[in-house]
Amino acid sequence: MSSETLHLGVMANSVVRELANIGLAHATTAMAELTGKTFDMAVPEVESVALERLPSILGDPNGLTVATYMSIDGDVGGHIAFLMPWHSAQQLWLMLVGDAPTSPDDVSDLHASVALEVGNMVNAGLLNSISDMTGLSLHATPPQVSMDMTAAVVASIVCEASFVDSVALSIQTEIFDLSHRVSGFFVYIPTVGGLRSVFQSLGVLEAA
Amino acid sequence: MAVASNVLVGMAEIHVLKGSGGFSCLGLGSCIGLCMMDPTAQVAGMAHVMLPEAFADRAGEKPGKFADTAVPELLALLEKAGARPERLVCAIAGGAQVFKFGAEGTNRLEIGRRNAEAVLTHLKSRGYTPRGQEVGGSLGRTMTLVIETGIITVRTVTQGEKTLCNLRA
Repeated sequence: MSSETLHLGVMANSVVRELANIGLAHATTAMAELTGKTFDMAVPEVESVALERLPSILGDPNGLTVATYMSIDGDVGGHIAFLMPWHSAQQLWLMLVGDAPTSPDDVSDLHASVALEVGNMVNAGLLNSISDMTGLSLHATPPQVSMDMTAAVVASIVCEASFVDSVALSIQTEIFDLSHRVSGFFVYIPTVGGLRSVFQSLGVLEAA
Repeated sequence: MAVASNVLVGMAEIHVLKGSGGFSCLGLGSCIGLCMMDPTAQVAGMAHVMLPEAFADRAGEKPGKFADTAVPELLALLEKAGARPERLVCAIAGGAQVFKFGAEGTNRLEIGRRNAEAVLTHLKSRGYTPRGQEVGGSLGRTMTLVIETGIITVRTVTQGEKTLCNLRA
């Protein structure tokens, strides 16, 4: 089988959307606890696309993004990344560190590790909710951060994911603070086998 | 005057043009952008390679996805469009490791480095050495070729755009 898209039925898509909804609520709470700000979230749009198309559907491919990426082992293997536009990352640094670098060349170890911790927390929020609802295990490997053009970052994750038949789910939502200065979204790429396990554990027929 | 088209070469794609226009690979991370051109025949092509080698157990994959299938496929398409193998010149860019913060030593797959090595090996085995190459490091790159001028540029977020080489010179 090639790595073309696994077509999600209406039911399967709405299940993924609900999982995302709950996971994002966890992620939003985590962001709020860390920053002391109130965060809100737009209703997520879930889209399953061919892996290779993923870099071209995520906004300006040349835009600068701060991405926290983790690969996932366990019952539901795969890859997850939380991406923030550069301007949002700067706002987050201002809130948490008190200053913000103007370019990726000026990022200090402190700024990098703050970005890593935020991404780690929100990714874990999403993964934990999937694990809680399904009873399946998802073990994230240590996070890695990139600050570079969006397409290059997403393409690099897609390359890692293409070793195993996988489903690219872009969970397009915005996590934003009430002044709308911070936003972000997820790329979640479970393996085909892992996503089937999720559906089976919830009693959903994937193509129904 | 008609505006020459610039073809965006997505992941795992190969495109070939004759006469005018150009190509871009947007956002090469660990992927490799491979350009080849026959300046005399005005035929050029670009491949956006994702992985070093094809999987033995998977059929139906795009040839442009893997270094070992992309190089011969690009050459075949160029010849079909009128290029002569002995006149082809090439350049490559990409193969970066964009995740440079955190989790030291977990880049076990090292896809960027392996992609660059694989593309260079498959070019070399057919007698080609890139006229220009910018591979490795940690920066994402956008690579563009304009057929009329033969000029290849590489753009990064922090270092801007610079000329890599001229395939006509």
